[in-house]
Amino acid sequence: MIHPGFHCHKSEAHKSPKKKSEAQSHLTPAGAGPLCRHRAAAVCLFPAPCVSSRRPSSLPLSLPSCVSRDLISSQLSHLAFLVRVISTTTPPSPCTLSLCCPVASEVRLLCDLEQAEPSWTVRHIGGAMRGAGAEQISVLVRTMVESKASKNVLRMFYLLGYKLDHELLRVGFSFHFSRGAQITVTVSSINKMLKLHATDEAVPVTPGIQLVEVTAPATAETYAEVASAVSFFCEYLAPLLHLSKPGISTGVVPTAAAAAASLMSDGGGTTL
Amino acid sequence: MTVKWILHWTPTPGSVVNSQILSEISQCVESFVNAVKDGRWKATLTFYRPNLRDQSIPSEFPRDFLGISLLEQPNKYYFIIRGNKIILEADSTILTIMEKLQSYKSKVALNFEGVQYKMGDFQMKVVKVVPNQAESLRGILIEIEYLPLSSIEKAKPIMEEFLEVWREVMSKKSLPGHFTQTEPHFAEYKLPDNYTSQHTAIQYAAALAQLIQSAQLRG
Repeated sequence: MIHPGFHCHKSEAHKSPKKKSEAQSHLTPAGAGPLCRHRAAAVCLFPAPCVSSRRPSSLPLSLPSCVSRDLISSQLSHLAFLVRVISTTTPPSPCTLSLCCPVASEVRLLCDLEQAEPSWTVRHIGGAMRGAGAEQISVLVRTMVESKASKNVLRMFYLLGYKLDHELLRVGFSFHFSRGAQITVTVSSINKMLKLHATDEAVPVTPGIQLVEVTAPATAETYAEVASAVSFFCEYLAPLLHLSKPGISTGVVPTAAAAAASLMSDGGGTTL
Repeated sequence: MTVKWILHWTPTPGSVVNSQILSEISQCVESFVNAVKDGRWKATLTFYRPNLRDQSIPSEFPRDFLGISLLEQPNKYYFIIRGNKIILEADSTILTIMEKLQSYKSKVALNFEGVQYKMGDFQMKVVKVVPNQAESLRGILIEIEYLPLSSIEKAKPIMEEFLEVWREVMSKKSLPGHFTQTEPHFAEYKLPDNYTSQHTAIQYAAALAQLIQSAQLRG
């Protein structure tokens, strides 16, 4: 589950204002009061997931092939540092892992523009897990349910009384790892559209900064293990990225060489 | 997917729908040459209402919002707003999402319970409409499927011919009513000529709407 709020930091450790970083789109249930049980009910993203083979043109630096065969070789640059580690899960026991401030639930309509025929997904993301158990783990747990839908899903939601809150365009890469959990890392730029649905006229929300998200599916029975695997994976990425709970400044990799060395190692400090 | 037509039983004024008529209709199907019983079938249709704090306030939300699940598409769910001629096909997990959103609640659920018959290039279902968790018969439908074709236009003359034969068989029983097809208006739903489960969902929704209207008129 993608958490709506995230902090993006430049390599100069510039902290983006929280408000900007949470500029995600929401569809709100119609009628505000009567039908609205949550404040930020829905999100409409144009489009949704990234394609791992795609190369972002904005990334100047080139790194050698990655340390793990799981990784698709990619170009990396100064990365936006994701404060939140988030995860997705699938029913029937949806459970997600995330490092973020507790937020209300939301529903998003995602359109994958990478395919020849755009495909749509409805995604509901629940509020964060709370309590003593939640505080002890280094990730945030949120429920998530997804459903593929036909292309008139946005019109259907409008007719049901939902309103578009905002929409965003995500462009970037995704990488898949198997490290104690099925971990997905996405590196993407978040763009806003100045006109409704005008994906060709999108402008970056934070120019030159990409959002890095680390997600992993879990169930109610496995979330502790998955949380541990995700945390460990984040530590593995520590030379390159410091992933932490929102509100905490992430560290910055001092040099690209260190980043490359980290990725070329096997995670145990051995250079391949 | 091959073309289907769904027709609903319209009782003559003063008569009612009952299990006797259902039995007679089933016998008509079984009297067809080469008709072989081929198992049971089920679909569920649910009417949803907006979850308003004050139900007395007139709302701008649709009142003809319904959902259909079909046995032949166990992982899919279909939402229809008939007044706006829109149908949405989604994974069945959409029900979990709707449950979480709590913006619409299930009002009434009806089951379509059918017996399927194979007869050469055709398949027929005799379908009874019953409320969920109840046995009272609310209506009777038949579904006619022509297996060789997926094109609705191309199948039309063949289906009409079959329907003439069917009506002739039915006429021998002198039952108090007849089968009617409700025009599904697929084009208004922007559906293609190639038949799909969305077409089936729309037909069942249209047939049920007619059954309800007829019942209200009789009442």
